[in-house]
Amino acid sequence: MKLIDSYVIEVGKRLPLVKGRKDIENELRSTLEDMLEDRSQKTGKPVDEELEVELLREYGAPQKIAETYNPTPYLIGPRLFPMFLMLIKIVIAAVVLGLTIATGIQIVTQFPMTAAELFKAIGEGLLNIISASIGAFGNIALVFAVIERFTPFPDFDMGKDNQWDPTTLMKEPEPQDVKMWEPILAIVFTFIVISIFNFNRQLLSLNYGDNAMWFIGFGNFAGGKFGTIPLFSEAFFRWLPMMNTAWVAEIVLNGMLLRSGRWNVSNRLFSIGIKILQIAINVLLLTGPFILGVTVDALTATKLVDAGMAHIIVSGLQQVIPVLLGLGIFGKIIEITSAGYKAVTQKPSTSA
Amino acid sequence: MTNTESLDNVVLELRRGVIVLAVLSQLNDEQYGYSLLKLLSDQGLEVDQGTLYPLLRRLEAQGLLGSVWKLEEARPRRYYVISAEGKKLLPKLKKEWAGIVSVMNGMLA
Repeated sequence: MKLIDSYVIEVGKRLPLVKGRKDIENELRSTLEDMLEDRSQKTGKPVDEELEVELLREYGAPQKIAETYNPTPYLIGPRLFPMFLMLIKIVIAAVVLGLTIATGIQIVTQFPMTAAELFKAIGEGLLNIISASIGAFGNIALVFAVIERFTPFPDFDMGKDNQWDPTTLMKEPEPQDVKMWEPILAIVFTFIVISIFNFNRQLLSLNYGDNAMWFIGFGNFAGGKFGTIPLFSEAFFRWLPMMNTAWVAEIVLNGMLLRSGRWNVSNRLFSIGIKILQIAINVLLLTGPFILGVTVDALTATKLVDAGMAHIIVSGLQQVIPVLLGLGIFGKIIEITSAGYKAVTQKPSTSA
Repeated sequence: MTNTESLDNVVLELRRGVIVLAVLSQLNDEQYGYSLLKLLSDQGLEVDQGTLYPLLRRLEAQGLLGSVWKLEEARPRRYYVISAEGKKLLPKLKKEWAGIVSVMNGMLA
C-alpha cells in the first residue's frame, strides 16, 4: 500500500487550501484500497506493487485528480471578468494619463536642463508609470479576487422563480438607480487617493523655490534648490490604516453598486457602515494632534513670510481644520440619516 | 478540433447533467463512493471517479446529500445518503427529466 499512500499525499499537496482536504485524502485512500482488492480478486493476481502501479496508472496523474476537487481554479471568474477588464482599462488609462501629465509638469518646471537630465527625467517618469500601472493592476486584481471568493454564487437554484422582470426595462429611471459612471469614477478616484497616500506621499507636500513659486508635489528636486513642507503631519498618517480600510470598503461598495445597478437595502446598510467608520476617523483626527504638517518654523524657513505672518497662517489653519472636520462629521450624519430613511422606506419590489 | 473530439465533448456534456440525477436517485440507501460507482456501472452508467467524487462533495455542500464516516473491514469509508432537501428536489428533477426525454424522443423520432 506504500504507493497508494504516496499517491494520496501527492494529491493532497495539490489541494493546499481546499476545505475538507483530509476528508478527500481519506476517501481517496479508501477508494483506491477497495479498487486494489477488487482488481486482485477479479484477476487472481496478488496485491503487490505491480498491481498498485497498474491501478494508479489507470486512475490518473495526481495533478489531474486534484484539479477535479478544486472549487475555484481561477482568481477572477467569468461573472466578474468583464467588469474587471473594464476597470483595469479605465484605471490604467487614468494612471498613465495622470503620471504623464505630472512628469511633463515636472520637466517643464525644471527647465532649463541638460539633455542628460532631460533623458533621466523622462526615464524616471516612464519607470514611474510602469510601476504605478503594475501596482494598480495588482490592487484591482486583489479586490476582485476577494469579491470573487466572498460573494455567493448560487448555481443550484431550482424552484426559485427568476426574479428579473423584463418590464423594468420600460420604467423611467428611479432615484435608486445608479448611473454606471458614478461608481466607476468613485473607484478610480479612490484608487488614486489610496496610491497617493500610501505610495506617493511626496506628492502631498508644498514645494517652494528661490523664485517663490509654490506648487504641490514632487519634493525630490535635484541640487537642493527647492524646499519642501509636508502637507500632513505624522499624527495624520497614524490613522492611515483606518483610512485605507474605509477606502477599500468604498471600492467594494462601488463594485457592489456596479453589479446591482441600483441602491438596495444591503448596499445602503454597507454604505452606512462605511460612513460610521469615516465619522470615527474624523473624530480621531479632530481630537488628536494637529493633522497638518505646516508649522511656524517651516513657514518661516521659506523666507516668503515673516514669523508674525507664519503665526497667523498656522493659527488660522488650526482653527479652520477642526471646523472642516466637524462639518464633515455633520455631513456624514445627514447622509446616514438619509440613507437609513431610504433603506427603510424603499419598496422591496423595486430593490432587486 | 476534429470531429471525434467534438463528439466526445457533446457526449460529455450530455452525461454531465444526467449524473446528478442518477446519483441522487441511487442514494436512498447509503453508499460509499466506490460502491455507488459499481452500483451505477452495474446498471449501465459508467462514471469516472474523477467526476463522481467531486460531484458527491458538491452535492453535500449544497445540502442535497449527507455523509458520515464508518469504519468497516479496518478501512474507514465515507457513506453518502440523500438528505431531506435532496428528497424534495428529486421528484422535480425526475419530472424535468421525463419532460426532456419525451420532448427529445418526439423531436428525434
